[in-house]
Amino acid sequence: MSVATADGLTLAGRDRRFGLLLTAPGLLSLLIVITFPLFFTLFTSVHDYTLLTPNYDTFVGLENYEEALDEEYLPGSLWVTTKFVLASIVIEFIIGFAVALSLHATRRFGSIYYLILLAPLLINPVVVGLLWRMLLHSELGIINYAIGLVGISPVSWLGDADIAFWTVVLTDIWHQVSFMAILLVAGLAALPREPYEAARMDGASTISCFIHITLPLMRPVIAVAILLRMIFAIKTFDIVFIMTKGGPGTATDLISYYIYRAAFFGLDIGRASAMAAGLLVIIVALTAYLYRYMNSLK
Amino acid sequence: MTANVRGTMRKRGRWKFLSWLLPHSILVVFSAVILLPLLWLLRVALTDKSTAYKIPPEWGQASLDNFIEIFTGYPFFSYFLNSVTVALGATVIALPLAVGMAYAFARYNTGGLSLRLFVLSSQMLPPVILVLPLFTLFLKASLINTLPGLILAHMTLSLPFLAWLLVAFFDGEVATLEQAARTDGATRFQALVRITLPVAAPGILAAGLLAFLLSWNEFLYALILSGPHTNTLPVGLSSFQTHRGVDIALLSAATICAILPAMVLLPFLRRYLIRGLSLGALK
Amino acid sequence: MRLFLSVLAALALGIGAAQAQTIRILMETVPDTRYIQELLPQFEEETGIDVEIEAISYIDMHSKLVPQLIAPEGSYDLIVVDFYWVGEFTKAGWLMPLDDLVERDGVDVDVYVPKLMDLVGRVEGVLYMLPFYNYSMALIYRQDLIDDADEQAAFQDAYGMELRVPQTWDEYWKQVEFFTRDTDGDGNRDFYGTVIQGQRGDCISMQWANYLYSQGGLYHDENWNPLLDSPEAIRAMEYYREAVENYSPAGSEAYCFDEAFNVMAQGRAYSFVTFNILYAGFEDPESSEVAGKVGITPNPGGGLNGGWGWAIPNSSPNKEAAWTFMKWAESAAVAKERAMLGGAPTQAGIFTDADVVAARPYYPILGEILAGTKDFPVFTYTTEFVEQVGLELNLAATGEKPVAEAMASAQERLHALLVKDGKIEE
Repeated sequence: MSVATADGLTLAGRDRRFGLLLTAPGLLSLLIVITFPLFFTLFTSVHDYTLLTPNYDTFVGLENYEEALDEEYLPGSLWVTTKFVLASIVIEFIIGFAVALSLHATRRFGSIYYLILLAPLLINPVVVGLLWRMLLHSELGIINYAIGLVGISPVSWLGDADIAFWTVVLTDIWHQVSFMAILLVAGLAALPREPYEAARMDGASTISCFIHITLPLMRPVIAVAILLRMIFAIKTFDIVFIMTKGGPGTATDLISYYIYRAAFFGLDIGRASAMAAGLLVIIVALTAYLYRYMNSLK
Repeated sequence: MTANVRGTMRKRGRWKFLSWLLPHSILVVFSAVILLPLLWLLRVALTDKSTAYKIPPEWGQASLDNFIEIFTGYPFFSYFLNSVTVALGATVIALPLAVGMAYAFARYNTGGLSLRLFVLSSQMLPPVILVLPLFTLFLKASLINTLPGLILAHMTLSLPFLAWLLVAFFDGEVATLEQAARTDGATRFQALVRITLPVAAPGILAAGLLAFLLSWNEFLYALILSGPHTNTLPVGLSSFQTHRGVDIALLSAATICAILPAMVLLPFLRRYLIRGLSLGALK
Repeated sequence: MRLFLSVLAALALGIGAAQAQTIRILMETVPDTRYIQELLPQFEEETGIDVEIEAISYIDMHSKLVPQLIAPEGSYDLIVVDFYWVGEFTKAGWLMPLDDLVERDGVDVDVYVPKLMDLVGRVEGVLYMLPFYNYSMALIYRQDLIDDADEQAAFQDAYGMELRVPQTWDEYWKQVEFFTRDTDGDGNRDFYGTVIQGQRGDCISMQWANYLYSQGGLYHDENWNPLLDSPEAIRAMEYYREAVENYSPAGSEAYCFDEAFNVMAQGRAYSFVTFNILYAGFEDPESSEVAGKVGITPNPGGGLNGGWGWAIPNSSPNKEAAWTFMKWAESAAVAKERAMLGGAPTQAGIFTDADVVAARPYYPILGEILAGTKDFPVFTYTTEFVEQVGLELNLAATGEKPVAEAMASAQERLHALLVKDGKIEE
């Protein structure tokens, strides 16, 4: 069936070769820096490798994994992380899409809106954490003062476990929502015009255009925006490190900070690697599943 | 004219007004939420810590002392320059490599989903785990405390990120156009350069911008792999958390100085972005 | 890739190979680091050695240091070490013993306050560090309120005792209760007897230690048997919880020392148990509204000792030059100059030196505070202990866990870590 060409390759074979040719430079430059840390993590996770004894003399099998699973506060941290990722992604997607559609629909003041949109992304997470800690100070923060002017009593933004979780989520959204918005607005800009013109001729409403044209055409961009944000959200570290240290209690104890403590405070790189490897398996499975799922929604 | 038609026209007018009002209201509210904390940051930068925390707020005498101090008492300029060099370097090198990978993934499904997951897999490990082996590796290659080392380290973040992101912009409609060009006799490479890249330009620009910001804000690698001459802004800014408390006024001034150049440059960048968009949009 | 790496490496070497004798020092951002930087030209002129100081935040220091110390040859010739890490760093064998150098050059190490020598100097008889800086904890209070005649009369009426700088915990706690007020009559308290720095982890661990000592409690006995479920420890936590609920701003269970500092600096609190180095911040009008109104005194029952020490890592590329610098920085003249600029002295004579006292009249009190401090448990897993106990304390402070239960957990965790370190039997 396939047609052999001059160099003896089928068309599909030439496609494959062209694909490999394009991937090779990037892949080669990544190979060491991806493979080595991955291998290091897996290898370390089955050894008694601590900062005090940084060597591979003692093979311990799955002991580090068992130890990690036995830890009292690990399930709580996983749960907090799950809630955090879900909450931040859902809210960011809704706000991000609304902003992206609005930006796409406006002509005037576009530059100003873009500038403002980009501003939070330019600010370092450490500064974001410190800035909001100042704004949300329960006694001296401008936010409690402002809501006091309209008669609302002061809120303990970071001191109350339930509120602190949402404070951290909203701070993260303030910082990261632009990421989603920029990706989505770029996706909108890359959409072809023809389907809309055709639909307009048929008298389709704006809402029906959105549901039947925009959403399906935006699917690849939406999928990748959500996936990448999910992976970044799982790794969220600075906000809790600067704002709450995982507290009050365990209300904001995200997994990346948990693993950080195991590695740098607990000095146990073996156990931290076991947790990281476990997390890696979960995220890979989740990403593969979500990616397939979102691509099947054609 | 029948009443019915007039009614429709009035409805259209109302709809037009609404479709003007709604986006602007959303954007104004959104912008206010983003801007107000930043204006507070600016205010703190112009005062001292004692005034910054006064409740009810007192404005006091605005002064540029903090701005002078961060340039005279701290190597702020070096932080800034290092950050720009590293972020720009990492993005400029990673972008073409990522375009190649993403295009191959999207068009030829090179390596399948497993290769894509492999490329992204290191990004799914907490950086604190990645940084130790990277440190060992860089030490052997004498890359610790060098800007090329930091650029390479940041490329390990931006390259997988970019490759994944760009797939989305090479998928979809553009594939059909490309097919048409191929039928007209364009080579694979010509189709990529003449058809796909212009169409995907907004995506590539947005992705490049986000990759730049990723590197611009990266902290842990910069902390551990850099030294006195290569410290970036995030490391420098973090040092305002001192053992005597947070130097919030200096920190605010430094942050303002760090984002101001980008804010000034962005309108120009946006002009290019728009050009990219109009190139990309299929009219 | 290999070619790429070697090109990068060649570039890197080209940049690095400029000067012959340069030492690189990693320090944290504390006032003393700035004073050292100010005095540096002296050293460079005297010795011809160039010095590069990299100052990073104390919260990033450990992460930055550890990879450097594991490496066979790191980037830093000289470092400063927090007392938290002393057990870990010496156990791992990362620090170079200094005894031979001290003997060879006849350096007098008896000038240091013995408490600091024990904390950030000698470990099991071996000298690894010279104490650089001390941040022992103390009670900072509003002297102007104590001196106020009306307050004195009102306090006398209410408690039948004199209002003075508190000598005992009981007396202090009465003052805390007395000064907690609703000054504008809106039904909410807005002036606080004390400020809690109750954030999970390091912040609460450090402050609570003072509450423990105030009740005569200790972390462990002389045989390292943990004592965190003792009646003293439980009472200390009950006081702490009472402060969170009644005498400190709502939300202070999430404060670290900076938030708490600002409450007091804005004139909204009577007292604050914290690091003595913050006192200078209260006296500085740029950061405080109460400059000239605060006093500092030992925490009744003893405060927590804390400090940083100079150390030469085994991975140091240039140990001899690092030692030359350390000797200079700790010489009597430089140590005194640092103190005059506002540094935190570690040598006993400096606290009472006539010139220093003339410039900084409260320094003798700092010496007194230091003399009365007690040590945190310093062992291999101190950092981990700070985190683990800091969580249990925070759970108790927020009321999520009953006090006795939280202290039982804290006891269990300390026990487990001490067993892991081989300090005690299972």
